Amino acid sequence: MDLEDEMQKVFCWIAQIGNLWFRLLWHILHLILSLWYFAVCIAHAFENSLISCGLLKRYKVLNSGRVQYLALVVDSEEARQTSKVIELLQCLAAIGVKNVCLYDTEGVLKKSKKAILERLGNAKLFEEATKNVPLLDKKHVTLEFASFSDGKEAVAKAANLLFAKYYLGDQEQPIFTESHLAEALRAIGSGGPDPDLLLVYGHTRCHMGFPAWRIRYTEIVYMGPLKSMKYGSLIKAIHKFTMVRQNYGK
Amino acid sequence: KTLVVMLSLQFSLLPITKTKTCTLSPNFKPLLHVQNLHCFRASPHLYRPLCATAQNVIVEENDVVNGTVADGGAPAQDVLLLPAGLRRELMPKHVAVIMDGNRRWARMRELPVWSGYEAGIRALRVLVELCCRWGIRVLTVFAFSSDNWFRPKVEVDFLMSLFEKGTKDELDNFLREDIQISIIGDSSKLPESLQELITNAEEATKHNSRLQLIVAVSYSGHYDILQACQSIALKVKDGLIEPEEINELLIEQELETNCTEIPYPDLLIRTSGELRVSNFLLWQLAYTELFFAQSHWPDFGEAEFLEALRSFQQRQRRYGSRDS
Repeated sequence: MDLEDEMQKVFCWIAQIGNLWFRLLWHILHLILSLWYFAVCIAHAFENSLISCGLLKRYKVLNSGRVQYLALVVDSEEARQTSKVIELLQCLAAIGVKNVCLYDTEGVLKKSKKAILERLGNAKLFEEATKNVPLLDKKHVTLEFASFSDGKEAVAKAANLLFAKYYLGDQEQPIFTESHLAEALRAIGSGGPDPDLLLVYGHTRCHMGFPAWRIRYTEIVYMGPLKSMKYGSLIKAIHKFTMVRQNYGK
Repeated sequence: KTLVVMLSLQFSLLPITKTKTCTLSPNFKPLLHVQNLHCFRASPHLYRPLCATAQNVIVEENDVVNGTVADGGAPAQDVLLLPAGLRRELMPKHVAVIMDGNRRWARMRELPVWSGYEAGIRALRVLVELCCRWGIRVLTVFAFSSDNWFRPKVEVDFLMSLFEKGTKDELDNFLREDIQISIIGDSSKLPESLQELITNAEEATKHNSRLQLIVAVSYSGHYDILQACQSIALKVKDGLIEPEEINELLIEQELETNCTEIPYPDLLIRTSGELRVSNFLLWQLAYTELFFAQSHWPDFGEAEFLEALRSFQQRQRRYGSRDS
């Protein structure tokens, strides 16, 4: 029994020493990883500054024409910072992105529509601007404002419209095609173009209910909170998009 | 980057919590109780074996009483075997995966395209096992898009034969592991033999409840929404519902994901670094966390899945509402 007790004490002592060493090792590794992440943050911030100043050759020439239609998804709380939204739109205009859809779930941006259009000066509403002129010919910025009601609710309204158009009465009842639904969405005012690129500003990495019908092949990039928006990050995201080659499943 | 991820997983950056490692060796059980030893979540092993053994089960400290789990009295080895750094209450219930990059994986290794697809099947097996082990209820995988029909015929035919072989080979495993299989997509375009096999597999596994594996084959998110609208129009025409009742909820009920009780994925993973959803579950992804992994699908294993889950657990999900 004495021997057993002694052995147990020895094993316990060894275990405690071992735990202390593991704890020390854990702290050292934690410190190394923390320093690593800190260094990565500093590097990103530095890179953004260089991009903003136009010092990085790679980002000097930006084929922004490839972004024919860009969507901004903004967290509704952050969307209340209208000045930040306007700053973002001004950056996009400076980069050469002319057609933008602004989306937030609660419709905060829709309510700030007038203020945003006034502050931007040369901006027009998408619906008015595209009546007779194709997207690429515009000299001014076109803005579309969307909210959750333009997503799932709009599809429900479109379904109702399709039923009313084709299933009431005695006319031939077709099998609905994608063109039927797209046309119905346009008829109810929710038929904007499919964005090429969708930038998400907020705390969650999801598109927050952006109209589902329109994002089949849209590139989705999470940009972080709107308050941390950086011109350099914007350029980087657009540059990365211009390098993408989609094969659309083929 | 892989080393950093593995180290950050194994040596959690969260504050250290002390846990008890339940070793079930009868020689040291009394010692564990008397000495109240503390071990940390850090494991000296960089990889956990796929089959967790009793020796490396780690449970939360306050869940363990006398070597058994306090909330049910089940033995320690029967509790959810979550790796260190994952919190049970934050695990996603429904994970969706776009299994992209099989062909690129093969080309990088100068292998034929078929090798990439076969490697992809192996990766899927691993993921299914992990989901079973970690308590994920639904796993939806994008196996074949409606756009993929435009690929070379020989490739499409190979894929169809792979689906057929895979379903036949795995059916016994699904029955044994209590996995329900469901197929969504336009099955009318699939070979008849595969259609029949799918129907039989769905029927045979319909009462299984451990994991629901939904395989999207010949699937299009656009078509899913469209057929829901079509279905509703027919129901209104037949007097089953009123036109005024057409709303989002009704459309949701008609989507192909109505085969599951949890139709909305909590987490979507797409491999190969592509940043889009490519016509997959368009309606269902409104508030789904999106995780874009750099690795190609055949290389997506336990470490990569852990990274995605950890990233998911660190995010703040509000489903469009404000913080309370």
